[in-house]
Amino acid sequence: MKLSLELNGRQVEWDIAPGETLLGALRDHRQFSVKRGCETGDCGACTVLLDGQPVNSCVVAAARCEGGQVVTMEGLLGDPLMQRLQKSMVDSAAIQCGYCSPGMMMSLYSLLRDKPQAGEDEIRHFLTGNLCRCTGYVKPVAAALAVAQAQGEQS
Amino acid sequence: MSPVKKAPPAPHRIMGTPPPAHDHEVVGKNVTKIDAFKLARGEPAYTDDFTRPDMLFAKVLRSPHAHARILKVDASAALALPGVVDVIWHQDVKPILHTRAGQSYPEASPYDTVILPEKARFIGDRVAVVAAESLAIAEKALDLIEVQYEELPAITDMHEALTRTDVLIHEVPDPRGIGEGGRTNVAARIDRQVGDVDAALARCDLVVERTYHLPRVQASHIEPHVAVAWLDEDQRLMVRCSTQVPFHLRRVLARVLEMPEARIRVIKPRVGGGFGDKQEMVLEDLVSVLALRTGRCVRLEFTRAEELIAARYRHPQVITMTTGVMKDGTMLANRMCVLADTGAYGSHALTVQGNTGQKVLPMYPLPNIHFKVDTVYTNNPNSGAFRGYGAPQGCFALECHMDEVARELGMDRLELRKKNHIRLGDTDPLSVKLGDNKPGLVRIVRSTGLDECIRRGCEAIGWDKKQEPSQPHLKRGLGMALAMQGSGIAGIDWGAATVKMNDDGSVNLLVGATDIGQGSDTVLAQLCAEELGLECAQVVVLSSDTDVTPFDVGAYASSTTYVSGGAVVKAAAKLREQIAAILAQHWDCEAEDIDFAKGQAVSPNGQSMTMQEVALHCMYEAMMQPMASASHVSDDSPPPFAAQFADVEVDPETGQTFLRKFVSAVDCGTVIHPLMAEGQIEGAVAQGIGYALFEEVLLDREGRVLNPRFLDYKIATALDIPAMETILVETDEPSGPYGAKAVGEVPIDGPAPAIINAICDALDGTRIYQIPATGERVWRALDEKRKDH
Amino acid sequence: MWDVKEYLIATNPAEAVEMMAAGAGKGRYLAGGTDLLLEKPACDFVVDISRAQMSEVAVSPEGDLFVGAAASLEYLANDQAVRDFAGGAISRMAAWCCNRPVRTTATVGGNLCHAMPSADMAPVFMALDATCFVMGQDEQESLLLTDFFVGPRQTVLEGRLLVGLALPAEAAHWHCAGHKLTRSAEDISLVQVAASLGVQDGVVENVRIVLGAVAPVPMRSQLAENMVAGLKIAEVTPDILDDAALIAAGEAAPISDHRASAEYRRDMVRVLTRRMLDEVLDRARKGDQS
Repeated sequence: MKLSLELNGRQVEWDIAPGETLLGALRDHRQFSVKRGCETGDCGACTVLLDGQPVNSCVVAAARCEGGQVVTMEGLLGDPLMQRLQKSMVDSAAIQCGYCSPGMMMSLYSLLRDKPQAGEDEIRHFLTGNLCRCTGYVKPVAAALAVAQAQGEQS
Repeated sequence: MSPVKKAPPAPHRIMGTPPPAHDHEVVGKNVTKIDAFKLARGEPAYTDDFTRPDMLFAKVLRSPHAHARILKVDASAALALPGVVDVIWHQDVKPILHTRAGQSYPEASPYDTVILPEKARFIGDRVAVVAAESLAIAEKALDLIEVQYEELPAITDMHEALTRTDVLIHEVPDPRGIGEGGRTNVAARIDRQVGDVDAALARCDLVVERTYHLPRVQASHIEPHVAVAWLDEDQRLMVRCSTQVPFHLRRVLARVLEMPEARIRVIKPRVGGGFGDKQEMVLEDLVSVLALRTGRCVRLEFTRAEELIAARYRHPQVITMTTGVMKDGTMLANRMCVLADTGAYGSHALTVQGNTGQKVLPMYPLPNIHFKVDTVYTNNPNSGAFRGYGAPQGCFALECHMDEVARELGMDRLELRKKNHIRLGDTDPLSVKLGDNKPGLVRIVRSTGLDECIRRGCEAIGWDKKQEPSQPHLKRGLGMALAMQGSGIAGIDWGAATVKMNDDGSVNLLVGATDIGQGSDTVLAQLCAEELGLECAQVVVLSSDTDVTPFDVGAYASSTTYVSGGAVVKAAAKLREQIAAILAQHWDCEAEDIDFAKGQAVSPNGQSMTMQEVALHCMYEAMMQPMASASHVSDDSPPPFAAQFADVEVDPETGQTFLRKFVSAVDCGTVIHPLMAEGQIEGAVAQGIGYALFEEVLLDREGRVLNPRFLDYKIATALDIPAMETILVETDEPSGPYGAKAVGEVPIDGPAPAIINAICDALDGTRIYQIPATGERVWRALDEKRKDH
Repeated sequence: MWDVKEYLIATNPAEAVEMMAAGAGKGRYLAGGTDLLLEKPACDFVVDISRAQMSEVAVSPEGDLFVGAAASLEYLANDQAVRDFAGGAISRMAAWCCNRPVRTTATVGGNLCHAMPSADMAPVFMALDATCFVMGQDEQESLLLTDFFVGPRQTVLEGRLLVGLALPAEAAHWHCAGHKLTRSAEDISLVQVAASLGVQDGVVENVRIVLGAVAPVPMRSQLAENMVAGLKIAEVTPDILDDAALIAAGEAAPISDHRASAEYRRDMVRVLTRRMLDEVLDRARKGDQS
């Protein structure tokens, strides 16, 4: 079936199977930041933004996104907030194997966009959907907090 | 052993070495992890990010029976499905015995495995494999395969497996005699003694014996196992996969495919976590066979359920500890008896359990130590390697037991440890008795920061003053544990490195050492840069590609910084000597008087060249490629040490435990990259917290996994991690590169015993002898105690 | 991959029902899809109701709260009308379900229609006396949520559409609290207890104790409720609460599974019932809804 949606600001039309997941469709269309980790909505490695909100693309039907807006990490590489977040993650050594990192940053991006000065508690609550087996979350949380604090100082 | 360039000590060394002459330029600095930005940007870097136009998708048909002969596989209906290209089962593949464990040759694991077995040995064992034009077609095809099984009686209880011989899970003897296939269900045995434990126990004022139960847990790297294989234009087999052991994998593939290694190339791109679970050929043989049969590119990736059923677990164990001690707290004897479940196949069956004692018991180097292991085959899914490699089990038993001994003795639990723990200059009493499938080498402690770890850890957790509960219905407790590990396997683990210089003065560093996310590429680049006076960014690292990089055993046994790092330092030093010789001619001075620092070579006469000028001179004047390779092995495996502390609150009505703070003080020698070393510790602690509190793969009596999903196999989320404090206690290990020891594994050992000891402290002595300490287990323990009184 | 042949998108409930009736073979309604996409039940076509004007929350002039079945859990967690209702018990429970990315699409209707005994949203809605609106091809029905569940994964729907839920205006002033017993921070309920308390002139006019994950369907413990109903707040002693908690534990019919044993679950019903009653009474005494 045909699917029309806006991917990273561009209108696309894809031919998909009716039962395809958004994860499958995105990876088929070279969105490599979207990782396959569990396909049961538990790990968050496939987190993308659907109409601005984080979703696990493995448990969203691609067809459900008809007419919607989908944003992946590929679409945020030029975004100042995402760039700050990436730099903070790198500087904090929050990236080990990196497999969960894009999904984690998509979640954190949506939090820090909506709550620029989010505190540690909010960050941890937000991150429960993004499993990371390498870092124990210490440095990713620190990286997000550093961005929030810098945003606090700017405002 | 040839000496590695010794670095001046960093400012915080506790050993009596002179103060530093100058700081290092790169070592000890938080340089940017060299692959971090591309991973942060989500660039295609992992196995599954590479696709080929002719790619087929493979899926494995798995056994629904725990023990059954596979009499016939009828794939005609599956093959008739449009898009199905190939289906294979045991009749299609030559049965060549091997082990899937990625270990040095000759492997210390029984040869009890074939690519596709004629007998399924666990629910989830390989029966047939499909290759199809799409994943959806491959999945559909599985449903169309008809299999005739002859069901056999199954053994899923390890105690039963130890005694029963009427059912043999492996009927063919292990050709090398490590396992007892054909005779019993024992995959490996160990029985070693130092001194005379029985005689010593008879003399002791107090003997304490307890039994501890350790669960089946899974590594749960977020990137599943995945492999892609194809034939290149020379018909060589290319295997790109998520592995920790590219060179071992090539060797095992060569054996089972009956191809020379020269015809096989294993390429390891970025790996999304391994933790030991990828120290094993879990699926690479299948894509290889299918690629060779079809001539097409074939991809196979595990689902999360397959990860939790058909990858590898930390071995479940039952450990009985017997300790003899005098009234003053002098410990005289320790006995550790281990019963372990390797599951259907025996990969790592001997060595993991060997580590359970070898890496753990030397913490208290008593004159009498007895260590006994029975590892049995069962019809359960497979155990194997998982970070810590047996030590977390042993450390749990020993460090819980130390608290029990102290309690019975009426002695402070920390004092008992301080009185008996290993010290600088001590010999590890088990090291000679326990080698990895060959005689062990003497291990003498040449660096230790253990006392400092204890002191600073106590300070950070507030050991002397337990805090009040945060709410009236909760109870608060403190617990601690000591841990030690190794740095590589002495005399067995080795690696090599090649360094070559480019026109601009940068270098390529080619290493077989396998970066699986832990950051070894960065650490090795730091060592190389330091040695050559370069910046880290001028070192371009390639790891690992069996066609291009030199050999390395791979990423396991806490070996990369210590062993592979030694090879890098040697290779870089050789390269520096080559350049120095050329410059010495040019400048008419002695080569050894030329100094390399801050991107420059400087002669004693004050002449200098940038490294770019040096490179241009070497290449276009001297016509010589500065290039060097070196191998490194260490006869020692110096232990990193850790003292770990937990502050918990327990709800005595629900049994739930809430972790409030966790402190790790770790001596890993010289710290090459402080932030990444902390990251190793924090990640290991998070896995240890899961081991302590909620991780457990549950099987029913038939051996079926009941919770093959993250919904029910709980790993720690950001909310499960308490305030974490990590203290790096630097020491100077004389045998390590720049004084470094390992850091990757030791911090996973202590969390479980520290947390369970803290729960026991909170509950006035009620102890959990089986982890994870779920709410229900604690509730039950409290209930039993109430009934007792 | 989920093997479905057709994916239809409805723009209103009536159209959804029509599509379901007209479709060839077996159809499934999909709102968020977070359960369907991972369970992939055998069916031929899907009717997407995520844009069928069922995702809103509204308050009637009388003060009744209407919640569309396709409202996402994240929406319920944040919507001001829901947060204001009964001290925000529904919002707090919604925010405690699954994880943030899943809550974006997972819906309250999906949670209820999936009808797991452990359905996280059922107890608080039942404690607040929710009514369900169900639409079939030729009929519409409203029934109490208490009567909605038939058994594990079974509801009264039988192919009909759950359009939404309504909470009565009087429940807006009840004190309500729900608690999940979990294995780790983010988890489904091993046991859930929700309690609500309506007080008029110092007398307990309404009390509801709802137990989740301890019976084939989420259930009220009416015997336990009877212990407290009609009493003056001042008369509710700790002994009465202990008894009510024990009775609730006795009424529960838990099973043993890989998550917990029946024995443990039963005792946890006691512990949580006592704690939830304490909490709502405490709020009632303080006159504090949240």
